[in-house]
Amino acid sequence: MLRIVASFTAGIAFAAVLTWNLMGGLMFHEHPSPFGVEETVARIQQNIVAAGNGWSLSGLRNPAAAVKADGGNALPVMMVEACSTKYSGPILNDDSVRFLSILMPCKISVYKKNDGKTYIGAMNAGLLGPMFGSLVGDIMGKVATDQAKFIIMDPSKPTPQIIYPKATGGGGGGGGGSGC
Amino acid sequence: MRFVQLLLAVLAGASFAATANVPPVAAAPAGRAAHGMAAAGPAAAPKANRSTADHSKFKELRQSFKSGPEVTKACLSCHTEAAKQVHKTKHWTWEWVNPENNQKLGKKHIVNNFCTATASNEKFCNACHAGYGWEDDKFDFTSETNVDCLVCHDTTGSYKKLPGLAGHPTYKDIEYPPKSGKIVKAVDLPKVAQNVGRTSRATCGACHFYGGGGDAVKHGDLDSSLKNPARYLDVHMDAKGLNFTCATCHATQGHDIPGSRYTPTGKAEDAAHMRGKENKGNAASCQACHGSAPHKATDRLNSHTGKIACQTCHIPQFARAQATKMSWDWSTAGKLTPDGKRMQIKDASGHHDRYDSNKGDFTYESDVVPEYAWVNGKVKYTLLGDPVNTQGVTRINEYGGSPTDGASRIWPLKVFRGKQPYDLETRSLLVPHTAVGYGEKDDSGFWANYKWDAALKAGAEAAGRPFGGKFDFVSTEMSWPITHMVAPKADALTCTQCHSKSGRLQGIKGVYMPRRDANGILDLIGWLAVLGTFVGVLIHGGLRVYLGRKG
Repeated sequence: MLRIVASFTAGIAFAAVLTWNLMGGLMFHEHPSPFGVEETVARIQQNIVAAGNGWSLSGLRNPAAAVKADGGNALPVMMVEACSTKYSGPILNDDSVRFLSILMPCKISVYKKNDGKTYIGAMNAGLLGPMFGSLVGDIMGKVATDQAKFIIMDPSKPTPQIIYPKATGGGGGGGGGSGC
Repeated sequence: MRFVQLLLAVLAGASFAATANVPPVAAAPAGRAAHGMAAAGPAAAPKANRSTADHSKFKELRQSFKSGPEVTKACLSCHTEAAKQVHKTKHWTWEWVNPENNQKLGKKHIVNNFCTATASNEKFCNACHAGYGWEDDKFDFTSETNVDCLVCHDTTGSYKKLPGLAGHPTYKDIEYPPKSGKIVKAVDLPKVAQNVGRTSRATCGACHFYGGGGDAVKHGDLDSSLKNPARYLDVHMDAKGLNFTCATCHATQGHDIPGSRYTPTGKAEDAAHMRGKENKGNAASCQACHGSAPHKATDRLNSHTGKIACQTCHIPQFARAQATKMSWDWSTAGKLTPDGKRMQIKDASGHHDRYDSNKGDFTYESDVVPEYAWVNGKVKYTLLGDPVNTQGVTRINEYGGSPTDGASRIWPLKVFRGKQPYDLETRSLLVPHTAVGYGEKDDSGFWANYKWDAALKAGAEAAGRPFGGKFDFVSTEMSWPITHMVAPKADALTCTQCHSKSGRLQGIKGVYMPRRDANGILDLIGWLAVLGTFVGVLIHGGLRVYLGRKG
């Protein structure tokens, strides 16, 4: 009996360690981009604008610029922010999950690594959503589907230009009028 | 569930905190100007004037000068040897013979993969010649009054040499660029002459920041952001810190300026130079001040300095303030709008052209991770008349270097890639005649009529080269050692950025690097040892169980 309990406990411990190590990789995903940082950003923005489902751009942030302003260096990072009130509204109207507003707006990060290549990073909305119940799971599933379309890089399409935010207040996000 | 929620909240909060209060986008290039036009005055913060001479009090300079050479004549009345000294420099001759292989280099002779070459384009290109009036091969290189003192010694920031005027500033108000509606005022020569002084980042940068036809185009580590740089961009030139000028490192004697792309120092001398003591080494190297063991005595990093240039670790990226041009495809130049007009199409950033009818397709990139190579200071160029590689890539310049020659270090490079015209008959590079003199009409100039045949014929004639009439475009590469834009030490490369299989030096051969390299036999022995241990434990345990049961 002792052996069974010990084996079971060891199995749980092993599974916990494994989950802990894999969790980071599961919650976010990363894809290489065939384009440079700026062109990747511009193409993601173009995809968002064309996506429908209420999606609009809510900001463009540059965390690396803050590091430079502070006297240091950082490889380029630009964060495209997008929001759809169609998806955010129901979550914001439910007290039990309103704290998830902390994840809004939806962010897609575009950055360069030390190999000189550009990457796209995003939250795995499809995996995270169901952890917060059926309402959030359902919405996040749809977000994940749209998000996958945002990061499609189609070289046959001409290079668009970055859409810079009109306003720069409030930490630099720029208002997009999307309500997020 | 609670744990996951908490974790997510913490992660999201951290993400939000990290990005709050941040400017929205990458800074736009500051003050981009037309070719060769420096937009600002002296970059350095005002300092007390330490000169023993006030040039505004010299009667020789209190004249109503009508031209640059008149000013030079006045300068030379006191500085009697200055022009003779300048005549010996590459800034004047645009020529240098490489003693290693007798190749004639310098802007007069080389062909690059930016604007290609000066032949036939002198009036335009020679806005960056330290002289007046070089418009064709008849220029008098022995004339002392043709030396331009002001372009290097102006402190007013108002002295500008416009492309198309053969090295002269404008002496009258002109519309520039032509048909732009913009008026460039005539230079106030007496004012500039009476305010001469030491060179500055702005005066050197008036040409060196704009090489290749525009701001930040050519070098990648030299652009107008260095006129007034912040600490993150260059710790030495930091305008609020050390505030080095170019001449602080390129310590000049008798107008002879150390440091050159034609004679780069692959492996600098090992000891720091004593200022004031004669030293024949390169004063513009890092080692000239820092020596070859600049890290703490106990620091492992000092063991790297024999093989790795300081720049490799301390310039982790270049073009950190604004994007630099990374490729140029001349083969697509000449496309026009349906009504026959020049096209200029912006790239994704909106700050640079990605296509220009005059020049073809471009790509720009900021925060560029350099490529790396062994460099020993020797360089071989593909010159006009040399064969090109029509099946692959022609290297415009090729640096020598190897891990075993004792003279090389691993250097960071900007590798500029392009496509440019070559002669199908002679299989060598061609020079297009592109620009014409200000106000002149010249139908053979490519930027006037977009006809390659006429442009290449005129270019070949000016360069004294044959042109068979048939041409195509060949892929080329040109390498530029990166040595400016030294980052704060906290931003130097970390160990794992090189010591890993996918690290920055993965392409460097001939040196063993822990974590990057592996010895197959050694690895096999190690794994056999692990396997043997595992098998041994199993046998040992098995025997104990077996023998225990047996009693």
